[in-house]
Amino acid sequence: MTGGHPAGPLARLLAWGTVLYLLLPITIVIPVSLTDRRYLSLPEEGLSLQHYARLFGSEAWLSAIGQSLWIALGATAVAVAAGTLCAIGCWRIGRRSSELVRVLMLLPLIIPGIVYAIGLYRWFGWLDLLDRVLGVTLAHGVTGIPYVVITVSTALAAFDPRLEQAARGMGASLGQTLRWVILPRIAPGIASGAIFAFIHSWDELVLVLFIASRRVLTLPRKIWDGINENLDPTMAAVAVLLILFTILLLALDGMLRARSGR
Amino acid sequence: MSAAAAAPALAGRPGRGVGHALELRGLSKRYGSFTAVDAVSLGIERGQFLTLLGPSGSGKTTILMAIAGFVAPSEGAVLLDGRDITALPPERRDFGMVFQGYALFPHMTVAENVAFPLRVRRLSRAEREAKVRAALDLVQLDRFAERRPAQLSGGQQQRVALARALVFDPDLLLLDEPLSALDKKLRAELQDELKALHRRVGRTFVNVTHDQEEALSLSDQVAILNHGRLVQMGAPEALYERPRTRFVADFLGTSNFLRGQVEAAGGGEMQLRAGETRLRQAGGDLPPGATALLSLRPEKIALLGAGEAAANQVTGSIAAWAYLGAGFSLTVRTSDLGALRVALPAWRAPIAPSEGLPVRLGWAADAAVPVLEDGDAA
Repeated sequence: MTGGHPAGPLARLLAWGTVLYLLLPITIVIPVSLTDRRYLSLPEEGLSLQHYARLFGSEAWLSAIGQSLWIALGATAVAVAAGTLCAIGCWRIGRRSSELVRVLMLLPLIIPGIVYAIGLYRWFGWLDLLDRVLGVTLAHGVTGIPYVVITVSTALAAFDPRLEQAARGMGASLGQTLRWVILPRIAPGIASGAIFAFIHSWDELVLVLFIASRRVLTLPRKIWDGINENLDPTMAAVAVLLILFTILLLALDGMLRARSGR
Repeated sequence: MSAAAAAPALAGRPGRGVGHALELRGLSKRYGSFTAVDAVSLGIERGQFLTLLGPSGSGKTTILMAIAGFVAPSEGAVLLDGRDITALPPERRDFGMVFQGYALFPHMTVAENVAFPLRVRRLSRAEREAKVRAALDLVQLDRFAERRPAQLSGGQQQRVALARALVFDPDLLLLDEPLSALDKKLRAELQDELKALHRRVGRTFVNVTHDQEEALSLSDQVAILNHGRLVQMGAPEALYERPRTRFVADFLGTSNFLRGQVEAAGGGEMQLRAGETRLRQAGGDLPPGATALLSLRPEKIALLGAGEAAANQVTGSIAAWAYLGAGFSLTVRTSDLGALRVALPAWRAPIAPSEGLPVRLGWAADAAVPVLEDGDAA
């Protein structure tokens, strides 16, 4: 990139405009969360941490955070296990048909979430999984698979297939080859997929709106309800925490990538 | 060369002779309509060093992969000590293998790489450590045990791959172009090391290469392959001195090819005629009137001084020459035999080569070898 032309004024303007457009809606919640008023507004006379205090004192918010966390962890486990095995399987078979499987696995990403949610609603009705933690975990896990398939497939594309041959030639069973040779080589890809699958579940709303009502109340759902029912600034505080948490996860992902790139 | 003949082969050979005899029986591999390996049958005796030699696309690597178990043959069988192992998966064959590019595990240290086959076999930690140390000693890499493969030179990586392939006392060691990634000088060094290693461990080695020098210097037996077929197999000197076909003569070293009409045959000799030139050729049993093809090595042609005579004589003039340090390489144009390559030792060469210089060439009746055209060889 060092050899390119310097950016002209128009390009600079466009670039900065885009950055602001992306960042402003996110940053607006930060001052809102510090408002001294009792309703959703910008601070008027001073900054206050009262809404953060309310958040951590509220049984309902904490329970929503806890529930979201457990669901996200469960969904990540499902997505990582299924996505990794699928990616490895497709890679080993390496035929046209496996290409089809890979595309199928990306479907949850391609199909509009709301379409998927309607279908899931019918299915979960029959399976008695509506409004249950297990149901939401499964739904989030399955829709998280594409992230893992993509990152693990990318990691496998860089894997030298002769290493697998070498391992087997030295007497390693499929399980041993997987554990000692393939998995350590693609671990950064798996971790990256896990982080994305976690974030996906952590802030997923559309599915939850359809398949959960009262017993399962995730954090995004609680914010959604809050916006609809009252204009409590606690939501802004929650939003800020959500943003910080996500940035933390992405930073972790970046660190893992930097390490594996070495 | 059957498996049953394997046992007595050890007599007079150095080394422990703990290798195994390998036999290929009618091995074929087809990919769709393409035949990569065509009915190859060969045997290698216990403790010997066999090289599969051929140009790229000759099927040599496919044969090695079939021996290793990574390629399932379309027809034929692989036998180890007379036991059919064709259906055995690679992880149950107990063969050591050095891959092209070595295939060392980049996330493991040298010691961990070498310990891998032992870990797979669930050896105790103490046993593992002792064997790894012995294997690294064998290839003189004991000081590098804690390094990663990426921190080693090409030659060192190659030695780690050898140690890893030998550490579990494999029945057979397979080598897939083990020296091709190294520069010329290092290659020569490791060739010597590989040969010494083969003597020390006394196991059966099967090597694949396209480098004829490597094949000649390393092997007890060389199998020459072309277009998926076994063209000729034998000891290096036998292949060089008595090539069966034009391809073998041409691929191993360099050769002049002379074509002549048989005028008379008998008494272990043929009289040939090429234009105005009469040739005497030892051996060969072609009937009068047939066309004979002879392979004549450049170093077996002498420059005749005034008054000197030879069984075969031809005159010509130097068309091109090159000084190669140890010798001169001359191209001599003759009227009846075309251009002949002549290798002349440079030290005390009888002439100072120059273009257009007339010379007289001579060679003995047994210097050339009758060979088959490649089309007739099958």
